[in-house]
Amino acid sequence: MIRNLRELWQYRALLWNLTQRELKARYRGSALGFLWTFVNPLLLMAVYGLVFGIIQRSNISHYTYFIFVGLLPWLWFSTSVGIGASTISDRRDLLTKVRFPAQVLPATVVGTNLINYLLSLPLMVGLGGLVGIWPDYHALAFPVVLLVQLVFTLGVTFVVSALNVRFRDLQHIVTNVLTLWFFVTPVLYIPNAVPEPFRRLYLIANPMAVIITSYQGIFYEHRWPHPRGLAIVALGSVVLLAVAAQVFERRREEFAELV
Amino acid sequence: MSTSDAIVLTGVSKSFRKSTIRREHTTLKSELVRWLKRQKRPEMPSAIIPALRDVSLSVTRGKTFGLVGRNGSGKSTLLKLVTGIYSPTRGKVEVHGRISALLELGAGFHPDFSGRENIFVNGIILGMSRREIRTRMDEIIEFSELADFIDEPVRTYSSGMYARLAFAVATHVDPEILLIDEILSVGDEHFGRKSAAKMEEFRKAGKTILLVTHDLITLQRRCDQAAWLDAGVLKVSGSPVGVVAAYRKAVAESEVLAMEQHVPRAPDPVQPRSGPPAEPGRRWGSFEAEVSGVEIHGRDGPQHVFSADAPFRLLARYRRYGVVEAPYLELSLRTDGGTLVWSSTAPLPDAEGATLALEIPRLGLGDGNYLVDLSLANAAGAVYDVQRGLYGFAVRAQNSSGLLAPVHRWSIEPKAG
Repeated sequence: MIRNLRELWQYRALLWNLTQRELKARYRGSALGFLWTFVNPLLLMAVYGLVFGIIQRSNISHYTYFIFVGLLPWLWFSTSVGIGASTISDRRDLLTKVRFPAQVLPATVVGTNLINYLLSLPLMVGLGGLVGIWPDYHALAFPVVLLVQLVFTLGVTFVVSALNVRFRDLQHIVTNVLTLWFFVTPVLYIPNAVPEPFRRLYLIANPMAVIITSYQGIFYEHRWPHPRGLAIVALGSVVLLAVAAQVFERRREEFAELV
Repeated sequence: MSTSDAIVLTGVSKSFRKSTIRREHTTLKSELVRWLKRQKRPEMPSAIIPALRDVSLSVTRGKTFGLVGRNGSGKSTLLKLVTGIYSPTRGKVEVHGRISALLELGAGFHPDFSGRENIFVNGIILGMSRREIRTRMDEIIEFSELADFIDEPVRTYSSGMYARLAFAVATHVDPEILLIDEILSVGDEHFGRKSAAKMEEFRKAGKTILLVTHDLITLQRRCDQAAWLDAGVLKVSGSPVGVVAAYRKAVAESEVLAMEQHVPRAPDPVQPRSGPPAEPGRRWGSFEAEVSGVEIHGRDGPQHVFSADAPFRLLARYRRYGVVEAPYLELSLRTDGGTLVWSSTAPLPDAEGATLALEIPRLGLGDGNYLVDLSLANAAGAVYDVQRGLYGFAVRAQNSSGLLAPVHRWSIEPKAG
């Protein structure tokens, strides 16, 4: 893992340039330009807000803001994994012609979506302000949660992108798994809505549940994230990233031959 | 291993699984089904394709090393092994020094971005730091001769502009070892000269260059060492002149073999008259007599490639089936372009069969591929067997061109005019 990340650091300029390029490419030549970054989460929020806030009548107060707090980091995660799955198998042009650390590619996807997330934060804060919920000192915990999610997302994306080189149907499986995963993650509801006997298992088995509830704790409920839960997920994420880096290294030799 | 070597390959082999080459991908689904059925992975030995077999070579630091070989001989695989894109199946690849590989121009170019922006990403991919790129930016733009176009999106470029930009970036990387895969032929003549000059500059600066090329003139002119790969095996390595000679001889031989590979047979000799012509345009006649076979020999037996000074010997087997009156054999040599070079006639003996031999002590022909036309006929107008271009040979001569290679001598007159 150390070697993997060190190479990533050596190629940080490439990582940064590719990320910049992805971001620029997203809005270059479009009328709305940079605003496109906000359209997708806003639209999703509007739909879920309509369905669960007005039609289904959720009893969570300031429901649209609540959704937004959880939806943004979830989109960071799911978009990274979903797009990251094919990021190596699609770059035949690079992998077979130049030598460079392939982990830059999934890392770029994760980085691009991280920046997207960060850029949409002001929108979230503004929306909270509209309903009277401004971030308070609990926001100090935000960077920690962000880091945990970064490690976790990197780990998952590394594994998925490496395995997709050999198993091309993985990316389709991943898309479907992510949809299921979204609904077992408390973005649209609070964990207390889960029946008591399953609640513990639910939080233990799904690291994203812990991460998302941490964000909701910080920005929506104004409380600190659950320290033990977050610590376990943090530790688990580091182990995952180490294993992922190992898998990645072992598979790397076949990338150029298989893509 | 001595430290004066920049690249050392020791017993390197590389094989590809056939599934890789046919681009058939395993899917999770198929793997799962296989696992549920508890089947073994079908592992056929024929599914392994060797691209390189036991190749050992070393490139001396500061030298230019040229690699020749036909398409599919493993040259590019070798470059990718040195670059580190592939890892060897067996053997060891050692590289000493910062390496830059120009295997493809414009790796990572994004069509929607300007030339300037693409210089950055491409440069970093090729191994430059951001600061290096910034300091060389103007130089790169000037070399590419794109001027104002540099801030236009790359998708608006012509293919020549694209290649120029890519080459400009590639040559401004400052590596110790440079790998080049026949890309010097980009752009127009003017740019080609600039590229060649740039490469010369690299050489003079004491960089190690590993060059893959089809251009034998480049190889002889620019390389200090050379090697020839054929079907993944290192055939010859050493001085460029020796390697080029061996390579040219082999190519000429295979060309001649390809010319000859299809020799139409005469119809059944038992019923010669009723037989249709074997192949119109290549062989025809009444076949009451035929030339049943031709062999071309050099000094020590069958040979296909000659030097201009070599002795040449042609053997033609003649057979007679019916009543044939005063037959003669006319033999012509022509170039593969069709130009008649020489023609000669010999009378045939009144016998059932004979072998005619034509001796030319010194061939005296220029560099090229030649075909043999034979015509078995008689003065009364009977045509027994005509064979056009069924046999051939090649002449490989350096430092000369044209049809003829007369005996000649150059000298300096002691006192001119």
